[in-house]
Amino acid sequence: MSTGTSRRHRLARTAALALALLTASACTAGKSSQDPAAASKPGTLRVLASSELSDMKPVLDKVEKDTGIKVRPTYMGTLDAVELLAKGKTDGVYDALWLSSNDYLRLRPDAAKKVVSETSVMSSPVAIGVRAASVAELGWQPEQVTWSQVEEAVRDGKLTYGMTDPARSNSGFSTLVSVASGLSGAQSALTDAEVTKASPRLKEFFKGQKLTSGSSGWLAAAYERRGTVDALLNYESVLKGIPGLTVIRPRDGVVTADYPVTSLASTDAATREDVRRLTEALRTPATQREITDVTHRRPVVASVPPAAGLETSRRRELPFPGSRSVADGLLDAYENELRRPSRTVYVLDTSGSMEGERLSGLKRALRGLTGDFRQREEVTLMPFGSEVKSVRTHVVSPSDPQSGLDAIRRDTDGLVADGDTAIYTSLEKAYEQLGADRDTFTSIVLMTDGENTAGAKAAEFDGFYRQLPVRQREIPVFPILFGDSDRSELAHIADLTGGRLFDAQEGSLDGAFKEIRGYQ
Amino acid sequence: MRRIAGIVLAVLLIGGVVAAVVAGRDNGDQSTATKTVRGVIGSEKAEFFADPDVVKALAAKGYTVRTETSGSWAMEGLDLKGYDFAFPSSQAPADELAAKYKARQPLPRPFYSPLVVVAHRNAAEVLAAGGLATLDRGQSRGTLKMAAYLAAADKDRTWQQLKGAEKYGELTGTLYIASTDPESSNSGALYLAATSYVANGGRVVASDADIDRTAPLMHKLVSVQGAQQPSSDAAFRDFVSGAGNPLVLVYESQVAALLGDQQSAGDLTVLYPDTTANSDHTVVPLTEEGRALGELLSEDPVLRKLAVRHGFRPQGDAAEFVAATAAHAAYLNQRLTGVRQAPVPTSKVLHEMARRARNQGDPT
Repeated sequence: MSTGTSRRHRLARTAALALALLTASACTAGKSSQDPAAASKPGTLRVLASSELSDMKPVLDKVEKDTGIKVRPTYMGTLDAVELLAKGKTDGVYDALWLSSNDYLRLRPDAAKKVVSETSVMSSPVAIGVRAASVAELGWQPEQVTWSQVEEAVRDGKLTYGMTDPARSNSGFSTLVSVASGLSGAQSALTDAEVTKASPRLKEFFKGQKLTSGSSGWLAAAYERRGTVDALLNYESVLKGIPGLTVIRPRDGVVTADYPVTSLASTDAATREDVRRLTEALRTPATQREITDVTHRRPVVASVPPAAGLETSRRRELPFPGSRSVADGLLDAYENELRRPSRTVYVLDTSGSMEGERLSGLKRALRGLTGDFRQREEVTLMPFGSEVKSVRTHVVSPSDPQSGLDAIRRDTDGLVADGDTAIYTSLEKAYEQLGADRDTFTSIVLMTDGENTAGAKAAEFDGFYRQLPVRQREIPVFPILFGDSDRSELAHIADLTGGRLFDAQEGSLDGAFKEIRGYQ
Repeated sequence: MRRIAGIVLAVLLIGGVVAAVVAGRDNGDQSTATKTVRGVIGSEKAEFFADPDVVKALAAKGYTVRTETSGSWAMEGLDLKGYDFAFPSSQAPADELAAKYKARQPLPRPFYSPLVVVAHRNAAEVLAAGGLATLDRGQSRGTLKMAAYLAAADKDRTWQQLKGAEKYGELTGTLYIASTDPESSNSGALYLAATSYVANGGRVVASDADIDRTAPLMHKLVSVQGAQQPSSDAAFRDFVSGAGNPLVLVYESQVAALLGDQQSAGDLTVLYPDTTANSDHTVVPLTEEGRALGELLSEDPVLRKLAVRHGFRPQGDAAEFVAATAAHAAYLNQRLTGVRQAPVPTSKVLHEMARRARNQGDPT
């Protein structure tokens, strides 16, 4: 068999990898470059990419038609992708990396050494998109606005906003760096001391954050739905796609994503040649024009002007932190001190059908999650069968985070499977438990492995939800599709409450719980 | 086989052009006349090798050249098995690679390019008003006064402290030149070579004492930038697309190539540091084909001409560059008048300087 040699070669090179990973790589490889008979034929590139790049589909389809190179993206946040790269887990699994920026990657020498070359193919600065009415009320001249003015408006209670979670989303991370650099008064790259010094101001600023999200797409939808948030912080390209926003690049500086297509040392020369050809195709004037027209990003070729509507006045580039300790310290401060804390009720199906592997899987996933809870976070576990079995609330206190986490683990270990499945009655109980919104990011996670078989019916829950006070209706439910649960039933709950459905039938329960973290 | 290689070698010594053809035929490559040669190159040469006219000129000599880009200093970390040549952007990393792969000296050095600083007109004018630069009257070029710039950097001067900067929103924050990462990329390392030469009183940094003396300033020049671009290509792209720092260190070749492509370069102003460093683009042959290619690039008149089109200065004859860039004399200091070239420290010293500049000013 013609692919035998190269596969064996791959095996030898990645001997240290887990067997599971290897099998996956062999099954999914399917690259024509592995078939000598088709050496000059198109290849498929398995690309670890930032999720915003999903808007590049029409451009990539065209590139595929022209070059025969197909891009198969796997979307992931910057931090997770860099971690994977540093640990060698991308070797043999991905052919290239395409993040919004490699700035963070370069702070990790173990990840940076996995990179052979990187070429920027487009750019987009962090910006603030403000509802036209709010711009007028604030009396802002969009071209003149500075970060300090934004801060002042937030402090005066005249501006609220949403942004994506920096720990899980590229846009959120860049936004955090922009805000911190802009507000710290730092004249050059941020230092640990400057982050500490700027903390009180930053904390004040993040009080204005009313929406958080693991993805730019859901953020935009939640913003529309909520209707009471004044602005969004994100890349200019994302904001330009949302109707009704005035997009402002603060005058005193921005952080710009430059989307480098990155080839990896773990790949062979033929693969890297495909990556180079892909890059070349993306940088032709014709493609650059299409990129800027379709995605509102800025071209990186001097002969192509940015699409109409993208302001061309210059902005200072705020320096990105030059050390990992500063970048990680900033992120840590955001999660544990600066942002508003989160408050979550986990409505967990422990009906009879969960007995066995399903229940142990749930326990594993919850225990895994305890490593991820932030300081000040309030976590309520609400296991249910025919009715809610218990309501236990724990807070991860900054002075003693361990005791709260230990208590969550203890309660998790005590979960027992029995009874029917009363989804709606339990959800109603969760809303009652949360009551009026405090100054937190409040949400409900619903995990069930079956259909509703007891208690309130779907229509009754709809009625219950609709009569809730406005503030309570803002609490979204994030249902997890698991086991034999019914997609349409759960999708309806997500739609009704402004949540989002997560799929643990396709993916894993751990994965779904982790992904939801970005929305809490 | 060894004898054949010996013959090729002998021919190589006679003349690169002939050798190229012979080498091309010698490898049992019967199907076509061209022979594929693989190389790892600095990013600033990617467009040269991608140019259809270069491809054609190389094909006429029997070559198809496949390239991958890498930071010049990062090439050391790559497995270069299966490659015919490496083409870093200066001599120091080239010498290290040559030692590692036992490539025979002398190494072909087809062309060179000095480091320059690009700025938009308003930034250049503010610098000139502040005594940090002089601008050539009526031209889009000038001279950056290195000593004055280093003194300003040493004192953490900001743009706001310079007269006239208040008119421009983007001219805020600490005044600095953005360079690439000196630990992996050549232009960043050469930036340290030039600035340390000035800071060391016009002597090349050679001893531990020299390194100690200059380390705090070198650290300041680098740390103020935060995360740095990995390649000069990326830094220049940012500048072109309107993002990035007001002052960016690039190769003159990048500017000259841009000018060659375009009718107008807008308000681009090219500042030649009064003390700068040259990048000597040096071929490290890993196979005889790689060496033949290096010789070909140095000697073939067509390829030399194409190198000039991409902004490089071919070794040995300044007139070629001057004649070819006549139309852009407003931007380019064609004869490098008033530009002193700092010698580059040994690669050991340069590595140590880069390490301490990136990490901290003190020895660890």
